[in-house]
Amino acid sequence: MKKHVFAAGLILFVASWCTGQKLSIENVQKLSLRSSDAIREGSEVKGYFFFYISDKIDKRTNEYTLQITDNNLNKIKDIKFQDSKNVTVLESSFNGTDLIFLLYNDDARTFDYQVYGADGKKKYAYNRQLTKKEEKYLEATYLQNVDEENTYKGLYPIEGKGFISNMPSREDKDYTFQIDFFSTEKKKQWTFVPTLGGKKFVGDYLGCHNGVVFIEVLKFGSMTDGNPESTILGLNLETGKQVFEKSTDVGKYKFYPASMSVINNGKAVLFGEYFNPNGNIAKDKSLGLAFWGIDEKGTITGEKYSAWGMELGKFVNTNAKGKIEDFGFMYLHNMIQTSDGSIFAIGEGFKKVTSALGIASRIASGGRSGFSTVKVKVTDMILIRFDKDFNVKEAKIYDKNPNTQELPGGYEFASTPLLGKMLKYTFGQFDYAYSQTNKDFSSFTVCYSDYVRGKDYKGGTFNSISFNEGQITTDRINTKSDATFSTVMPAKQGQVLILDYYKKAKRIDVHFEKLN
Amino acid sequence: MRPHFSTSIRRGFIVISFSINFGYQRLVLLRPAIYFWLSLQYPMTVATTRAFKNALVFFPLITITLFCAAQVRPLYSFQQDDSILKKVYFDQSARKKSMLLASLDKKNAADYKKIYEGQFKEIGNLWQSDRSVTSPAAHGYLQSIVQKITSVNPELAKTDARVVFSRDWWPNAYSMGDGTIAINAGLFVFLRNEAELAFVVSHELAHYYLDHTNRAIKQYVEKVNSPEFQNELKRISKSEYRINTQLEELARSFTFSSRRHSRENEAAADRLAFHFMKKTGYDCNAIKTCLELLDRVDDSLLYQPADIRQVFNFPHYPFKNKWIQKESSIFSQVSNTDASTVSERDSLKTHPDCAKRISLLHDSLANVTVAGKGFLVNEEVFNQLKKDFFVEMTEQCYRDKNLGRNLYYSLLLLQSGENTPMAVYSIARCFNEIYDRQKNHQLGSCIDTEGKGYPEPYNLLLRMLNQLRLGELSSISFHFCQKYETDMRDYAGFREEMKKTQNPNN
Repeated sequence: MKKHVFAAGLILFVASWCTGQKLSIENVQKLSLRSSDAIREGSEVKGYFFFYISDKIDKRTNEYTLQITDNNLNKIKDIKFQDSKNVTVLESSFNGTDLIFLLYNDDARTFDYQVYGADGKKKYAYNRQLTKKEEKYLEATYLQNVDEENTYKGLYPIEGKGFISNMPSREDKDYTFQIDFFSTEKKKQWTFVPTLGGKKFVGDYLGCHNGVVFIEVLKFGSMTDGNPESTILGLNLETGKQVFEKSTDVGKYKFYPASMSVINNGKAVLFGEYFNPNGNIAKDKSLGLAFWGIDEKGTITGEKYSAWGMELGKFVNTNAKGKIEDFGFMYLHNMIQTSDGSIFAIGEGFKKVTSALGIASRIASGGRSGFSTVKVKVTDMILIRFDKDFNVKEAKIYDKNPNTQELPGGYEFASTPLLGKMLKYTFGQFDYAYSQTNKDFSSFTVCYSDYVRGKDYKGGTFNSISFNEGQITTDRINTKSDATFSTVMPAKQGQVLILDYYKKAKRIDVHFEKLN
Repeated sequence: MRPHFSTSIRRGFIVISFSINFGYQRLVLLRPAIYFWLSLQYPMTVATTRAFKNALVFFPLITITLFCAAQVRPLYSFQQDDSILKKVYFDQSARKKSMLLASLDKKNAADYKKIYEGQFKEIGNLWQSDRSVTSPAAHGYLQSIVQKITSVNPELAKTDARVVFSRDWWPNAYSMGDGTIAINAGLFVFLRNEAELAFVVSHELAHYYLDHTNRAIKQYVEKVNSPEFQNELKRISKSEYRINTQLEELARSFTFSSRRHSRENEAAADRLAFHFMKKTGYDCNAIKTCLELLDRVDDSLLYQPADIRQVFNFPHYPFKNKWIQKESSIFSQVSNTDASTVSERDSLKTHPDCAKRISLLHDSLANVTVAGKGFLVNEEVFNQLKKDFFVEMTEQCYRDKNLGRNLYYSLLLLQSGENTPMAVYSIARCFNEIYDRQKNHQLGSCIDTEGKGYPEPYNLLLRMLNQLRLGELSSISFHFCQKYETDMRDYAGFREEMKKTQNPNN
């Protein structure tokens, strides 16, 4: 599904009302989809925020209002403040006790992290001054992903403690990332920026477990390096000091973790694709999915490998080279363990295909084209069910329409783990939106978007794969309406919140719908 | 919220306009026959005379229908409205509208016209929909009470007020300014005697007599067109900065002023209602008890709430606690007092607090020496109508596709033990409708979300409905019908609903 990119803007509204399951906001001058979002605690939606300009104070200053509602859209609080007219809200998060909003002032080049208590009172503000280089890099990465699904998230809650921020960063000539911790217990912050042993670093926050922050780091020797080194970094949550660094691509196989989940009674498990140890990950296909148990000291407590041609092949149409027919490679978005002990891996397919645009550009430019001769096609969703020991029990591919992403020149030989991360974090091209579980983990819902060109309907859809009472069901909501555009936000598990923006009427309508 | 002009008995009243679906199934008539008989017992107004004539015409038909329906047991006999009377009332309202528009101040004619057009749209909707009750007996009974008031108050001798019950669920009564006065079923079912009903009617008649609605419209139009207001608007619109803040201040001062007038009008209507009531022979203490009731009516329950854990617990499909598991709120500590001060909130109320209204009437009530009666027309009819109106408003919620409330009232009805077949049928039908709506992703507009102002049992039901998955809905519906299959086998409507639960995908 092609995602639309909307320019960052501001919304202004003066009237809103709520009836039944519907909230209407009128006099919306301009809408930025980053100006509204769900406030989540884990996968549970606790409320929503709507950010808008409520007045112009003077030439340079606006009055802003953050309207916070509960998860039933009942208005809870209006937080008003004055700030530069160049301020936008980028993200929000909730850690069980406090809310954080990340505000960006593109004029002053600052990130402003504002922490509010559950009583709606401002507790702390943390400020990060960006250099020009950093701003430029962020504009090409994090700030570029202003899309309706807000796929890139850089703020993560640590329950009752604070928030972790993960942002691309520049340090002298190095392209790197910055991990910040903002405490909500007292005003305390630490920052970690890796710069040693590489030219470029891509960091992925995996989670926090037993007081250690787990980061997956890809180290690139040069800007065009297609075979980055993969390590897991452990940082002390209290101090930000490095606790361990563990290579994942040396040993029995080359392992590239995509994510981490805490399952099997509080054990942290890394999961992702694994490769032949002597192979070239820029060219070779992955061998399958790997699961590593890891503790807070970086010790690997267990390894399990599920090969495409063996275990997984019994359930889906795969070949020994690791390529599931017509599905491509797998990017693992999340893992959920249900109350019966089953573990579900939620993945999405992607594959390299020849780019007509890249080839034509290359011919036209005499080989100096900025486009790669291959592009990436994002394919279907996959749900794999494992038992608690990671033995495959069931797998099913859920069809959806593909969307493609042209790649910059030089990415023909990029490894699949790297391409997967780029699709998620740089291009925001995956259709996966989010997954939610209920309180007792007896059911979950996986949500993703799609675009359908059928006889009866042509337009955007929002889809779900639900597990409830041992049964898996799917559902589709057509999101095309008379609205200028519509977007879907998370709601209570089993529901979604649909936001319709009517540009001509300057109105936003939001309403809940249940998933089947 | 768009401006709406009416005067009502409740504080903070908001008129909600619904589009009405007329396509409900008419069931076998029984109760109209009883009402027909009862209506013979009471004095008649012009309206009831017409209703009487209609009842005469329909009575043979009712008897025939009863006879023919002997093979299939009726679920419930709804009140049958007099459509001719509705047409008469509609025409009267239309004539009143024309007169009002013709007499308008030409200076701001366009503004007046816009407001009155909107006002009469609401009035027309009441007369042309199933919401207004014009069934001979119910309407006749109400007219008897109206007559008790008008016959002893010379000021009201020539009143052209058209007072009706409506099937709307929300507890309120209102005067629309053209003589249309409605008493909602949602309020009537909570009243304890005729004297309380007489006070509600007196209060609305007082609003009409004092022309509060039209005066409020006049005041609004003159205010917004006044040179001061217009100059202020012009000045603000030319401002470069703080436009919204200034507009907000202007709107706030305007609202304070109009709400103050509104509260003064309420107090005046109470005083005049007392004046009307004291001559009727009704117990004037009902004013106090009625106002006390209005203060807590949102939290009141007519019947003991049904325990959904028990109603939806079946031997082969037990109730699951996860259906009603509450999600913790993160904003529990947020106080709602930040947006406005206590005095501001008080100033924004349309009605004074009921306690204040009672205290304003305290001396007048204390001086009443003659003990009035709670009932002057007929206690039996009053009590029967209360029961009937509960079913009527339950059914109206279904017609309006207010499914959450329809189910809630149906469960209360089931719990009450009265009209059990109707309650069971209504629950089964509602579940099937919810299933269809959920399947087509259209449930959002038919089910409320939990709210602070709702009774806890209603919130619990809403939580469950909002958390049930399609398969669970289907299973509950199936097992519920199965539970009542034997008792309900003679009811065709129920059998139809049961069939749907067996083939949910058809």
